[in-house]
Amino acid sequence: MTHMTLPSLIPVIPELALALMIMALLMFGVFRGDGSTRAVSWLSIIALVVTIVLVGMGPTEKTVAMNNMFVTDGFARVFKTLTLLGSAVALILSFGFNRDHQMERFEYPILVLLATLGMMLMLSANDLMSLYLGIELQSLSLYVIAAFRRDDSRATEAGLKYFVLGAVSSGMLLYGCSLIYGFSGSTNFVGIAKALSGVPHGDVSIGLITGMIFLVAGLAFKVSAVPFHMWAPDVYEGAPTPVTAFFAAAPKVAAIGLFLRAMLSPFGELVTDWRQVIIFIAVASMLLGSFAAINQRNIKRLMAYSSIGHVGFALLGLAAGTQEGVRGVVVYMTIYLVMTLGTFACILSMKREHGMVETIDDLAGLGRTHPAMALMLGIFMFSLAGIPPLAGFFAKFYVFMAAVNAGLYILAVIGMLASCVGAYYYLRVVKVMYFDQPAGAFAPVRGELALVFGATGLFTLFFFVYPAPIMAAAETAARALLP
Amino acid sequence: MPDALLLLVALPYLGAAIAGLLPTHARNAAALLAGGVAVAGLILVFLAYPTIEAGGIIRWQAEWLPSLGLDVELRMDGLAWLFAGMITGIGSLVVLYARYYMSGEDPVPRFFAFLLAFMGAMLGMVLSGNLLQLVFFWEITSIVSFLLIGYRHQSAAARDGARMALTVTAAGGLSLLAGILVLGHIAGGYGLDLVLDRGDVIRADPLYLVALVLILIGALTKSAQFPFHFWLPHAMAAPTPVSAYLHSATLVKAGVFLLARLWPALAGTDAWFWIVGTAGMATLLLGAYVAIFQHDLKGLLAYSTISHLGLITLLLGLNSELALVAAIFHIINHATFKASLFMAAGIIDHEAGTRDMRRLSGLNRLMPFTARLAMVAAAAMAGVPLLNGFLSKEMFFAEALWAPAPHPLIFDLMPFAAVVASAFSVAYSLRFIHAVFFGPDPEGLPRTPHEPAAWMRAPVEVLVLICIMVGILPAATVGPYLATAVQAVLGTDTPEYSLAVWHGLNWPLAMSAAALGLGVALYALLQRHLAGIDGAPVLRLLDGRRLFERAMVFLAWRVARLLERLLGTRRLQSQLRLVLGAAVLAAVGAVLVRGLGPGNLGHSAIDPVLALVWLIGGACAVGAAMHAKFHRLAALLSLGGAGLAVCVTFVWFSAPDLALTQLLVEVVTTVLLLLGLRWLPKRFETAGSAASAPVTRTRRAIDLGIALAVGCTVAGLAFAVMTRTPPELLAQDFLARAYTEGGGTNAVNVILVDFRGFDTLGEITVLGIVALTVFALLRRFRPATESIEVPEQQREQSAYDTLQPDRKDGDTAADWLLIPGLISRLLFPVVCLIALFLLLRGHDLPGGGFAAGLAAAVALILQYMIGGIRWFEDRVTIRPLRWIGVGLLLATATGLGAWAFGRPFLTSYFNYLEVPVFGAIPTPSALVFDLGVFALVVGATALMLVALAHQSVRAHRALPRDAGAGPAPPSPLAGGE
Repeated sequence: MTHMTLPSLIPVIPELALALMIMALLMFGVFRGDGSTRAVSWLSIIALVVTIVLVGMGPTEKTVAMNNMFVTDGFARVFKTLTLLGSAVALILSFGFNRDHQMERFEYPILVLLATLGMMLMLSANDLMSLYLGIELQSLSLYVIAAFRRDDSRATEAGLKYFVLGAVSSGMLLYGCSLIYGFSGSTNFVGIAKALSGVPHGDVSIGLITGMIFLVAGLAFKVSAVPFHMWAPDVYEGAPTPVTAFFAAAPKVAAIGLFLRAMLSPFGELVTDWRQVIIFIAVASMLLGSFAAINQRNIKRLMAYSSIGHVGFALLGLAAGTQEGVRGVVVYMTIYLVMTLGTFACILSMKREHGMVETIDDLAGLGRTHPAMALMLGIFMFSLAGIPPLAGFFAKFYVFMAAVNAGLYILAVIGMLASCVGAYYYLRVVKVMYFDQPAGAFAPVRGELALVFGATGLFTLFFFVYPAPIMAAAETAARALLP
Repeated sequence: MPDALLLLVALPYLGAAIAGLLPTHARNAAALLAGGVAVAGLILVFLAYPTIEAGGIIRWQAEWLPSLGLDVELRMDGLAWLFAGMITGIGSLVVLYARYYMSGEDPVPRFFAFLLAFMGAMLGMVLSGNLLQLVFFWEITSIVSFLLIGYRHQSAAARDGARMALTVTAAGGLSLLAGILVLGHIAGGYGLDLVLDRGDVIRADPLYLVALVLILIGALTKSAQFPFHFWLPHAMAAPTPVSAYLHSATLVKAGVFLLARLWPALAGTDAWFWIVGTAGMATLLLGAYVAIFQHDLKGLLAYSTISHLGLITLLLGLNSELALVAAIFHIINHATFKASLFMAAGIIDHEAGTRDMRRLSGLNRLMPFTARLAMVAAAAMAGVPLLNGFLSKEMFFAEALWAPAPHPLIFDLMPFAAVVASAFSVAYSLRFIHAVFFGPDPEGLPRTPHEPAAWMRAPVEVLVLICIMVGILPAATVGPYLATAVQAVLGTDTPEYSLAVWHGLNWPLAMSAAALGLGVALYALLQRHLAGIDGAPVLRLLDGRRLFERAMVFLAWRVARLLERLLGTRRLQSQLRLVLGAAVLAAVGAVLVRGLGPGNLGHSAIDPVLALVWLIGGACAVGAAMHAKFHRLAALLSLGGAGLAVCVTFVWFSAPDLALTQLLVEVVTTVLLLLGLRWLPKRFETAGSAASAPVTRTRRAIDLGIALAVGCTVAGLAFAVMTRTPPELLAQDFLARAYTEGGGTNAVNVILVDFRGFDTLGEITVLGIVALTVFALLRRFRPATESIEVPEQQREQSAYDTLQPDRKDGDTAADWLLIPGLISRLLFPVVCLIALFLLLRGHDLPGGGFAAGLAAAVALILQYMIGGIRWFEDRVTIRPLRWIGVGLLLATATGLGAWAFGRPFLTSYFNYLEVPVFGAIPTPSALVFDLGVFALVVGATALMLVALAHQSVRAHRALPRDAGAGPAPPSPLAGGE
């Protein structure tokens, strides 16, 4: 047994610090009541920023802790930074909405932080147990957040649906984990990989394969990939908009990160077995995400289908199963995160005197009533469609390239087709904004929302000028996962 | 010099940004800016000419994506130079023209901003030094052309045209991207030099065809080639300067530029000939034919553009070097005469107010100068000698006659097709001139036509002058430029060719003459009927736009609807079905793919008794599911039955520990659930009419099927898995290590508190949280009104009591279960003792903290149920929160204690402690941990119990109380907290 003295906790410091800050904030909120919401919110953002700094200061090379259950490496660092950023921005986005909709309660930021902590654990999971622990910490917080507006029947329904389906998927995940444990003799990723290495491919036990399939099913639910996607449109539409923004951003990034590690780290040897499954999931997600989105009138529901489609594209990189593929996924998720947050900042600005509106037709004539916002939303839509020179093009480009170089030509071509179809509905939004008769102006845009969609819009627009830092980070992440 | 390239590409964007910021009415400033940028670009291009002419290539490079080995590379060779010259040159003229064409009321600066951005995109594309960069700029041209075509967004035609153009060209662009990725994969890089160098490798690669088809889809959509030609006529809704620019020298030329650019890498195969040649030939004929029947001037020019691009494509597809020369030459010529014709059409539209050829006539007298210019340009389009169109058409005829074709039949037919297409071309050119400029004076035009402003005509004059100059003195004017462009593509393979007006009497000349004659005859024949024919005969049935829209509706509406209906349900039940179904299919699929086969472990004989127990258990489970929605109590009891069957199974297979735990868990959860049920309606009366009964029944039958399928699959999987256990079982490992490393002979307990102690710690934490949550939720819980009233049984009892004269209300309740109650009170300490016993022996024998905690909880529950809340809480004070807290602290502290000895978290230590009377007691540190588990389980169960139990107190408080009720008991939590 290794000596476990205190210094070996160094890799866990960001998580520990975040956990402690959450508890402190919780105490603060409990004793000060709902009047402290604003303070708790800002302190939460500070907590996230501090955690980002701590992640940045952490060890750069692969380090394990907690009996090998926890690993931190370049891959985890990049994904954690993305997740934390996503959560912080989602919190900023929620301020105005929560204030206007009687949701201003101090538990909200705390729950977001708890979910984020869960995501960090997921990303550092090196063991089926820490994987499950992270997933559940995240999911349970998310269930509550989804139903945070208790007096709104849509939100409660969304929360309940999410919970029931999430519980089923967790069950499948656990079933898979127990099979894997039973047949490899280890819950540890390294242990599982060791049990698999050197075994001739035909001799890998069917129990292990079945377990892996169930694990994939559970993870596919978390990333809302087809056929485990059906919760996403309902939850996205039903949940309060800032919650939807949060759901679409950080948890998705974290779940994809976990998916990558869980597939490539312990099951790297079985790539031929899971590749078929991932290809199926990716293709189905891309196609469904593209086609089913066309009919949507509600922009939040549209974003749900869009996110399903995007997960499909990101999974192309995983299907490639190469370092290049992982790099593509990292870039994809980075850009996806930025675009999504920006889009939701725009959606949150869709406010008239009598309240929020969320159908696409409400955007009519935005080009004339709010030119700046329309421009930014237009940029996001073009970017989500994957049209150069916007960032979304590069996101798709890298995963397509990885797929082509891994010999998955047909997959890449299907991806192209799907993105053509996808472009159609993104462009419809642009058309409505610029070409239709104005449907009445929105209330003035809140400063923080304008800041978010402005900054993310500029990033999306000018990503191509200097993509090197993000590419380098993605490269490091990919090399950490697949040396 | 290299930096000039960067300047050349960046300048238009800079100009676009500045123009976009100008105020809406700054027409002159914007035009000056745009003109300045375009002219500056042209100057830069010409400054580069000496280097290019000497066969040099100008490059500018910068690091872009070092990790991919991709650089931004601008590369100007002869071909790129030629295109850059056309883009900036015609661009300058278009800017001048647009200054006078655009009305001052439009937001003109925005127009110029788009125009400049488009110029930048085109320049970026032709100067790209690597293919990915080329695709990148290619897509930008699609987007900006969308904005330009949709510039008049008030008009529905402009919006539809813009959207169609974008959908087609951007989709083509994505296909191109896919093709380029494959091409780069084959060639081993995306650098243009590298790819052009590897032509032989590329053509020999098995993936060549994939790459070729994908790239050609991109190029053909952009150049509006059949069958993707339909977007171009609809793009005519753009302002005329845009059409003059996009459809003469730039956007549509991008496709043929790409074909020419990649010619050395891709051309030379039969596949190339068939795809490119067929598309070109079809487009050439179809465009020319349809053009004759257009009534709109711009419509005629649009189809003529399609046709001429078809000609260029056909030439490129012929796999002959001379044809390539002709193609590049025709690219130049078409750009000049088509730009001038578009501008002339714009002048006519501007001054006469209409573009309909049925209304226009006799303009020759009203605007003689413009008429002359248009006539010359149209003659060039028709291929009249001494004009530039004639020269390239001659070359085309020569190629049609002599180019090597892979099939002799093609060889025979091509000259005829060429002559027919040229005759059509002559006919529509003639119509353009004759219908507009000759005939009687026009009547009823919106405006009175007159000559335009001199500056508006100037660009046309320049272009027509070029047409004539090139037509008369080709070698002296365009010769050197053409030569450098051809050299850049073909290098040392450049064939001998001669640019001259007169090659002697030969076949091509005869074909030209035939085409001219046929064309004139055709027009003379059709002239009188043309006004009455709406759309091209026969071909109007093949309306590309309608097909496109149908396809769009099909995809966007039908398929999308269908998919959403199939997969996008909003009902939770269907969603669950989908999740479970998919999981089952995945698992079964995995098993089927890997093959199942018999397991390596033998089956044990089936014991009839156990089978019977299982049958009962299964029946209970099914019953529970059946009743879950309608009769909760029955469902719960059935569930308990199923749990019991599992419990018996554990005993049967010698797992007393599991059996014990399972039994206790069953008891505690069932009782707690039953207590909770008190506050829910007893029965669900199904709302709904009798008519919906069959539907409900069917749905339940389906649900039963799904449940059975999932259950059988999981059971089957478990069976399959258990009959092929690998030899080194995990369980054996645990059994072997349980005593040596964990110091206990009860392996289950050792696993719980030692091997997987961390899991247990997590679990008990969760249990504590759950208890707290239940308590927190129920604290504010107010039962539904229908369940507030006293239960039916109690009501009957008190009714009985009040009726009987010798009984008081509440007597029956007081005597209820008197003897069992007494016994259970007496048993309370005994059960507690048993719990302690279970706890202490747990490490070696069945028992342990969890089982012990549950046993203690059972004791508490019993007291609550028998004595009632008030009675029990008056006598015993339990502080569940303290139990939970102490338990959690104990467990964690045990774990942390290991650190004090420099061991990992939760490392256990064990020893035996000699205790008088009892003898040696195993005292591993795990015992302390187990104690923590015990305390927590007791606390958590008690807390939930308390939370549930107090509902009854509170519920009665909500109703008007009968007399004689005592005061509410103090909360057991009130004291400690």
